[in-house]
Amino acid sequence: MKRLLTLLVLPLAGTAGERFVSLKTVPAEVVLSGPRATQQFLAIATDASGMERDVTAEARWAVSNPALASLDGARLKAAADGRLTVTAAYAGMKGQSNVRMEGAQITRPLSFTREITAIFTKHGCNSTACHGGVKGRGGFKLSNNALYPKDDYEWIIKGGGYQVLTDEVKGERIPRIDRKHPENSLLLRKPSMQVPHGGGKRIGADSEDYRTMVEWIRAGAPYGGGQGAQPQLVNLTVYPAMAVMPDGGRRGLLVTAHFNDGHIEDFTHQVLYTSNDGDVAAVNADGVITAKRKGETAILIRAAGQVASAGVGVIGPAIADYPAVPRSNFIDDYVFAKLRKFQIVPSALSSDSEFLRRVCLDLAGALPPPERTRQFLASRDPNKREKVVDALIASPEFTDYWTFRFADIFRVSIFSNGLSSKFSEAYWEWIRNNIETNRPYDEVARERISAQGYSPASRHFLPYNQIGPPGEVMAEEVRVFFGRRLDCAQCHNHPYENWSQDQFWGMAAFFSRLFKMGPVVFDHPTNMDLSSKDVDGKIELLHPRTKAVVKPALLDHSPFELAPDGNPRKALAAWMTAQPYFAEAAVNRIWGLFFARGIVEPVDDFRSTNPPTHPELLAALAKDFRGHHYDLRHLMKTIVMSRTYQLSYVPNGSNREDVVNYSRSLPRALDAEVLLDAVADVTGVPETFPTAVTEGSSVGQAPVGTRAIQLRDPDTFFSRFLEIYGRSNRGAVPERGGKPNLSQALHMLAGDTYAGRLEAKSGRLARMLAAGASDTEIIDEFYLAALSRLPAPGERDEILNILSRRGGREAALREFVWALLSSREFAENH
Amino acid sequence: MLGLWVILALCGCCAAAVNKPDPRPDPKAISVHPFTVQRGTAKTVIVRGSGLQGTNGVFAGAAPFHIVIEGVEPEPKDEGGHKGPVDLVRMRVEVAADANPGRYPFRLITSHGVSNAITLFVSELPVTAEPEGSHDSPDMAVPVSPGPVLFAGRLSHRGEADFYRFKAKAGETLTFQVISGLPQIAAGGSGATVPNFDPSLTIYEAGTSWFDPSRLKRIAYNDEPAWVVGKPTDAYLVHRFQQAGDYLLRVEAFAGQGGPDYSYQLKVVPGEKPEDLPPVSRATDDRAFTRILGADRLNELASRGGDAAQHPSVETYRAAAAPADAAPLFKLPGTIVGTIERPGEIQRARFQLDGPRDIAIEVETPAAAPPYFNPVVRMLNTAGEEVATNVFAGKGACSGALTKSLQAKTIVPVREAGTYTIEVRDVTADFGGPDFRYRVQVRPAIPHAGRIVMSADHVNLARGEATSLRVVFDREEGYLGGIAVSAEALPPGVQALAGADFEAEKDPPSFAGKRERYEPRTERAVVVLSAAKDAAPTPRPQVIRLVARPVSRGKLGPVLATKSIPLMVIPGQ
Repeated sequence: MKRLLTLLVLPLAGTAGERFVSLKTVPAEVVLSGPRATQQFLAIATDASGMERDVTAEARWAVSNPALASLDGARLKAAADGRLTVTAAYAGMKGQSNVRMEGAQITRPLSFTREITAIFTKHGCNSTACHGGVKGRGGFKLSNNALYPKDDYEWIIKGGGYQVLTDEVKGERIPRIDRKHPENSLLLRKPSMQVPHGGGKRIGADSEDYRTMVEWIRAGAPYGGGQGAQPQLVNLTVYPAMAVMPDGGRRGLLVTAHFNDGHIEDFTHQVLYTSNDGDVAAVNADGVITAKRKGETAILIRAAGQVASAGVGVIGPAIADYPAVPRSNFIDDYVFAKLRKFQIVPSALSSDSEFLRRVCLDLAGALPPPERTRQFLASRDPNKREKVVDALIASPEFTDYWTFRFADIFRVSIFSNGLSSKFSEAYWEWIRNNIETNRPYDEVARERISAQGYSPASRHFLPYNQIGPPGEVMAEEVRVFFGRRLDCAQCHNHPYENWSQDQFWGMAAFFSRLFKMGPVVFDHPTNMDLSSKDVDGKIELLHPRTKAVVKPALLDHSPFELAPDGNPRKALAAWMTAQPYFAEAAVNRIWGLFFARGIVEPVDDFRSTNPPTHPELLAALAKDFRGHHYDLRHLMKTIVMSRTYQLSYVPNGSNREDVVNYSRSLPRALDAEVLLDAVADVTGVPETFPTAVTEGSSVGQAPVGTRAIQLRDPDTFFSRFLEIYGRSNRGAVPERGGKPNLSQALHMLAGDTYAGRLEAKSGRLARMLAAGASDTEIIDEFYLAALSRLPAPGERDEILNILSRRGGREAALREFVWALLSSREFAENH
Repeated sequence: MLGLWVILALCGCCAAAVNKPDPRPDPKAISVHPFTVQRGTAKTVIVRGSGLQGTNGVFAGAAPFHIVIEGVEPEPKDEGGHKGPVDLVRMRVEVAADANPGRYPFRLITSHGVSNAITLFVSELPVTAEPEGSHDSPDMAVPVSPGPVLFAGRLSHRGEADFYRFKAKAGETLTFQVISGLPQIAAGGSGATVPNFDPSLTIYEAGTSWFDPSRLKRIAYNDEPAWVVGKPTDAYLVHRFQQAGDYLLRVEAFAGQGGPDYSYQLKVVPGEKPEDLPPVSRATDDRAFTRILGADRLNELASRGGDAAQHPSVETYRAAAAPADAAPLFKLPGTIVGTIERPGEIQRARFQLDGPRDIAIEVETPAAAPPYFNPVVRMLNTAGEEVATNVFAGKGACSGALTKSLQAKTIVPVREAGTYTIEVRDVTADFGGPDFRYRVQVRPAIPHAGRIVMSADHVNLARGEATSLRVVFDREEGYLGGIAVSAEALPPGVQALAGADFEAEKDPPSFAGKRERYEPRTERAVVVLSAAKDAAPTPRPQVIRLVARPVSRGKLGPVLATKSIPLMVIPGQ
């Protein structure tokens, strides 16, 4: 009835049978300031389901006072100061925006920093693929994305070729502009292809940008735009942040530039747009997106010195009866809202056995024992899931597992910790103690970043018993605690981010006085030199290009107190843990371990050009994490108690292809250590770990019963299984990505891990046979041990049938267990 | 008097080559199990080693026990995992009832000579042998009765961990110590190749785990808080138990080793008891932060340089956390003392120097020491410029990169009179505390002989053989005198000769950086012991004595160092 009523009151609208209920123009209110100011408008129609469609191209546009401004399509150009309205009409509806114009007739000379660098960026001239590359191109170098306009200006005005390792000029300097005959300037003749240009034709000789450049050269090619300091562009915002559209749909973007004097400008036509995945969505030079196929991608937007992005979701056909999906906590609100927007129905709630196996592996890295699984499946307690989560988080296996996880992230390894297993163990104990006591993560981070003396956390500064280069040390801390990779900016400005080379070295300088004296790590006081005629004891960090001494500088240039002989890393640690990046990176990393992918993926590659799939969820998780004093256990419980986490891995018709929206649990391979422990648990035969770097050179052995995830210093234990299945190399921040390979298949067929265990007299199978267990009992027990479920009736019957046809009961049962351990269901967490 | 004084000129020694005897199995004792025997009792123990065939007695000096060799046999090949032949010496140890508890080194006397020393412990406590069988799981734990107890155990194979079960009362404190039967036995120069056994100790209580109801909960764990090469690595743990109940103790090797040599002694004692440590060497070491910088320091050093003149005693002053111009004054020679209580604190004191002088700055850390408290001492002139520091900057021998080390002594030639400031701080700005105490002695440099190292452990000479013993000493603070080394109490037919030896030439060190300020010059003396072809074999070891004295200004100084070592003359080559 309600639906019928809706149909009756809604106007019929749209061109293809679409029914819209409203129309709006964006921006609704705007101020155009200064000469040559323009504003792009969008007309957005909304249907009854809340779905938006961009009808900018179809709408009729008008201004209330043509004497003040003119319209070029939906783009308003100011001519005089005053107020007016811009109206869009479409399908019988109207949208209206209020516009105020000021300073329209002020004469403002063109400037290099404002107009010319914007033209370079817009046409991709200063991109990494062109003149913004490390060495430039064709002898002409621009700073990437106009990060260093002064340098760019000098190369253009005075000429010369850029040198990577020095700021000196090599060879004759030939200016790239001709002030007397502006049209003869190389700066114009190259991009307009009046002379050969490797980058092809970029700017037409009849274009507005061409004319702007000519006018600028004719005006004397000024760097700034007249008197006083030029306002600096500090930020770009994009509307919409997430564009959702059907296959084949079009949607325009509005890009707004924010300046440090507080004023804003429309930059929609002054930026460079690129699509992260052109197969999903394409974008043209005016920021209009065209949906190509179902999926998600991002549009990257570059203006001089700034980068931003907008998400794009291309959705499938609308689902007529989208079901109501219950929520458990705030995580579900964000995830399910997006799923609804994208017309993806989440999978059903996981079964109890599915949930139990998953949550045990995710929280404790271990399979649930069969008797626990039986109890859990039989329980009718409505709160049994939460109760088991609490029990798991309180278990010593939780401490084992998360010590293992953080030992990976924090790199516990004899080679990374001073070449002494005593040091790596002390570091491992520090991590374990932090996990066991649930120490707030910000405290952990602060201690690690600023560790000094002989303290356990300081051991991580001693790879191969040497202090690493400041840039590498800093980049690791930033990657671990900020989830960001600054490494590229070491040699040149970051190609995909706003980090400059100067920022990189400013941050690196916090670690530049890090020194070791015997086993002691400390920051060399600035008031001690130690130079002599024989030894240059100066500890200074020189900028690799300018050779200037670099002083510590925070990424956001915020001021900080630094005592002359204090620990500079304390200031850095305090700043880092207070930044939004810190909590976001932490929750994203933990999230990634529970869902097989981070909200930003890879989990330590946050950047404007790699936006989160669920930015609001990420912010909410980070806020919750901060609000709970960086409590990792609280974070993990919040995650696993969400319905999102507890969804089944079984797909439905709408989410089969979805791998980024958490509409179902994504099966993922068990990590090598967890898999090995699982094999040991199911077979009942523990693994032995000889202490040796290579096979056969053993001098000792881990105590019997030691699990793979409990190894304090895995590098010192040889394990063929772990080598084959891909344990992480802690020589660098590990990126686990164990892929199936032939060696694994061969090991499964003939390796000791499987075959040897199945024949062990002390194993689960041997014990059950000795106790006189029936085939059914054995099958059920192994199903519970390996898969946390009982076999389906058909499965059990089929196995019994096969067993009955095989001669030799024990051998046949061994084959059954082998098959179970070799199954994908066993080797994955789903 | 068969001793012979050997005075060695430090320059221009003739490089007389000393022929080394043909390789002959040197008796080598690796381990003894068990290695603890209660006083007033007798126990059969087994020594493992090589070259022990023909063992016919024991040389134990004045040790309070009597040992009878019961038999020697080769170890079956399939045991021990050893690569060479191993001998097992079975012997009966009878300890006197009035023996003082402690560590007693002993050696085996064999047909090839005397072995290196290994240690037997005498205890006042009854020694309980670890029961036969495996104890590497909680359900097979060895029960421990209340009161002081001592177990003689062994980790028989790699990866073995021995469990012990005991009870504790609520609020009770117990001290646990595991002493390894394989201490740094290679340090005596015997050439033993068995890895050291570094024991670890863990206390568990019954735990609860959703996965495994029998899983234990670790409540305390020992490993060396400061791991420094050359320091003992035995396990020591004092724990106060919050609750009454049953607890488990696990003993294992840090690196998971095990085998017939991996014996240990486990002691559990009520209350908090100090760690049983091996005796500290009393040898002089100018370069140790832990040596004592007393008031009579100048005379001590002068005598080591053969100087009998009397020097004034060194007065003590207190430094203050004050700026240089307000720092308290002290007189040279003087010892300034203080405590870096707060992280980042810098303390200072000033002194007046009337003219050019070579100054020695010595640092002692009576409580916390490196690597925890790392006192950086700087000497600054009135302009605040650094004149000297105890941080030695050099170049790494491998990489050539800048390296630094903290030194306990710095020698600095000061050429200008004036007021100088001594500044003391921890190398980090993050640590401090009541145990960050220091004593910095500033005094005129006094040339003297420093550390003297006589590395010989024992000597076995066949008739007609000769061997050389090396004595290494440090020339401290510009000492230009010599060292006289004598070998006393030599048996008939053995004579001591002056000698010299050399080492293969090495590339000059790449590090430099005023090295002489921080490192002494090291010199070597060599004593050659030679047995005549008709020398009478010694049925038992003869204790000979190496004695070192300074030679300065034409006079022989007082005895600086001595070492007694056993020597045997054996029948033939």
